[in-house]
Amino acid sequence: MVDFVQNTLDGVMTGSSYGLLALGFTLIFGVMRRLNLSYGPSIMIGAYLGTLVYVQLSAGPLVVIAVTLLGAVLAGLYVERLCFAPMAAGAGVASMVSSFAIWMQLEQAAVLALPRHTYPFPPLATGAPLNLGPFLLRVDHLIMLTGALALSACVHLLIYRSHFGLGLRAIINNPVAAHLVGINVRAAIVRAFALASAVGGVAGYLVLAVDQQVTPMFGMWATIKGLIAMMIGGLGSIPGAILGGLLLGVIEAHSQWYFGPHIRDLFAYLALFACLALRPGGLLGEALHEPFERGA
Amino acid sequence: MLEISDLVTAYGKIEALKGVSLRAESGRITCLLGPNGAGKTTLMMSIAGILQPQRGAIRLDGVELTGLTPARIVTAGVALVPENRLVFPRMSVRENLLAGAYQRKDKAEVAIDAERMYARFPRLRERREQLAGTLSGGEQQMLAVARALMSRPRVLLMDEPSLGLAPLVVAEIFRIVAELNRDGTTIFLVEQNAHMALQVAHHFFLMEQGRVTFSGTPGQLAEDEVIQRAYLGARRAG
Amino acid sequence: MDDYLVGVLSNIGVISFIALSAYLLLLIGAISFGQQAFFAIGAYAAGIATALWGWPLWLALGWGAAMGGVAAVLVGLPTLRLHGLYFAIATLAFAEMVRLLFEQFRYQVTIDGEPVGPNGTDGFRGIRYIFENDVGPLQFLALIYGLLAVVLAGLMLLERSRLGAAFRMIGEDPTLAALNGIAVARAQLLAAALAGALAGLGGGLYAHLTTYLEPRIFDVMLGVHGLAYGLIGGLGTALGPLIGVLIDIGMLESIRVFAGYRMIIFGGLVAVLLIVRPRGLLDERLVHRIGRACSGLFGRPRPDKNGAERKPA
Repeated sequence: MVDFVQNTLDGVMTGSSYGLLALGFTLIFGVMRRLNLSYGPSIMIGAYLGTLVYVQLSAGPLVVIAVTLLGAVLAGLYVERLCFAPMAAGAGVASMVSSFAIWMQLEQAAVLALPRHTYPFPPLATGAPLNLGPFLLRVDHLIMLTGALALSACVHLLIYRSHFGLGLRAIINNPVAAHLVGINVRAAIVRAFALASAVGGVAGYLVLAVDQQVTPMFGMWATIKGLIAMMIGGLGSIPGAILGGLLLGVIEAHSQWYFGPHIRDLFAYLALFACLALRPGGLLGEALHEPFERGA
Repeated sequence: MLEISDLVTAYGKIEALKGVSLRAESGRITCLLGPNGAGKTTLMMSIAGILQPQRGAIRLDGVELTGLTPARIVTAGVALVPENRLVFPRMSVRENLLAGAYQRKDKAEVAIDAERMYARFPRLRERREQLAGTLSGGEQQMLAVARALMSRPRVLLMDEPSLGLAPLVVAEIFRIVAELNRDGTTIFLVEQNAHMALQVAHHFFLMEQGRVTFSGTPGQLAEDEVIQRAYLGARRAG
Repeated sequence: MDDYLVGVLSNIGVISFIALSAYLLLLIGAISFGQQAFFAIGAYAAGIATALWGWPLWLALGWGAAMGGVAAVLVGLPTLRLHGLYFAIATLAFAEMVRLLFEQFRYQVTIDGEPVGPNGTDGFRGIRYIFENDVGPLQFLALIYGLLAVVLAGLMLLERSRLGAAFRMIGEDPTLAALNGIAVARAQLLAAALAGALAGLGGGLYAHLTTYLEPRIFDVMLGVHGLAYGLIGGLGTALGPLIGVLIDIGMLESIRVFAGYRMIIFGGLVAVLLIVRPRGLLDERLVHRIGRACSGLFGRPRPDKNGAERKPA
């Protein structure tokens, strides 16, 4: 019983960062109806810049997080410019594949610039874990959880209570009508991309600070986690993203406890596959019915 | 005054509008009738900037609107109530109205306008926190009109406001159209329901196969001929 | 022909099977990031057949293809009815599951006192059929291209057939296709089975070419490359994906100067090409125009727009 609760707690904490990753993904999908497979890699570019200032300039964590954020946003805007902006409506496939192609590009660029397999990242906290009765809570995990929750709350406020958020939700609800009420959809999409990348940058920082290292695999890892969490929670649903993330974290924590890390990953994919086969809309989203925007 | 001159809009190689010319006079209700496929919605979407015309011009009081983005056209004072309403389904009535005023910076005035909408459309007030997707067809139509009005347009475009609505509701919509016009809004209206449209219109045009084929006032053409041509097109009229 | 060239050409040949596999699915409008799973299944199946069970090569290759086809049908049943985006992600999930399962897969048989067979992440060594049977690199190359030629011929025949037209119609608009009397679900499964078999065949060839398999090889990158080849080379003809493979492996991997920057160039190339030619270099329109020009050249009467036969001047 103790193990079960401990695993659930651990799962919730890691799941909070998955939720942030899913949040970024879902924002982009919501406004563009297209999947950005370069999401993780663009965060990785930010992380690599972060580690660069950490190693070369001995920068403090605040600087590292700022640089990571900035790098992720710049990389995200690059992806938007190349893979999404120029595609005519109806070229959803092309955008998705193009974003995967740029992933390859970004990954190799990062590896060429920083060729070692792993680079250090400043930790969130050092010191012994806290004891809460029979349960063990790592301080850095707690910071990650608080950070993720705080950021989610901020994004929620932005989306549901700000003018910009109203515009984004209008676009998500009905892009044609959004044009008709005078929203500059193109500009809003670019800002949504930047926001999603910034959220991803923070998520990336939190995860990497817990791991205390960044590797070139991070791009793929972040994309897959965010994707799975988003699909479980429901495409285009903002609360769904957080919920999906938490659920994924818990599933993984329990799978890892009983079966080890490889089976853990297997279960994550199985959860995704089952979700798609049985309830593609996820927990809180709506199932897509319009024909997928095919390649031109 | 909204003026369309020789407008040509094409989908790929197919010309949906083959050189449309018409005018909607300020302060009047102008109506565009015609059978399905005539190009009426294409025309509305072209004026609103969603579709870009290949040739021709759209002018509002002499100011060129052709080629502007939809957002700029709203700024210029033209708002479209689209076919099928297109409300924001998972946003509340209140938020839909706010979205209609998206470009406006004068928050206090926006709030006053929202109140005006609730006064004109009491059923929207009752449902102000309800999600727009849960409203009935007639209520959604009213919301769509109110939303468009929130941008304080000089010209209100309406694309088939009676579509899919029960006769009583349709009558109410047209009552509102007449009322809006009395209060000073220029209205350019596309309709399938020729009978109701002709009751309110000051002037009407008939559009068939991408061209304007008749221009006149209600009464100039025998109503049954108008209705026949509006539903079936000239070939089978008379 | 020097060994390096033979090696590159063999590689091109084998990878072409994955490219064609993804292409076939693109025809019916399905984007698959997961054809590498069937490639892996075919590779392991064929490898086990020759190395552990002592089967002849041709039978093993057939077995690999069959396994690929069957697996594809099993996956296709719950997923092909899904909206395209969900389908794409489902293929990604499935392929990764296959890879992870192969990491756990252990099946070893003692041959000549040594354990032979797949051993999880340690891989599957010793698929030594071509060495034990004196098949030289050139001969294997001929086998690869022989099979590829047969497959290409088959695909080009398919494209001219009613089935091929049905596939493309489904790709354009499945609802319209169904209204035209096409059994959409069955056609989709058939396409999936063929695609899976193609990938499986390629996998079997790959296993015997490299003599060594490990799950790490069959990752998402392989699948996405396969997809990208068709999108670069063009979706108008089965030759399109081959052009994509040539550009990547033939040019970028082989020419030393590019080698370190291969992904950067390839990635950028794909992105730019998708902007200007979203259906690839040899897209349907170009192929159609080439087809008409060729018929004109050979003086065959072509029906004009109104259906009347008209001989070219």
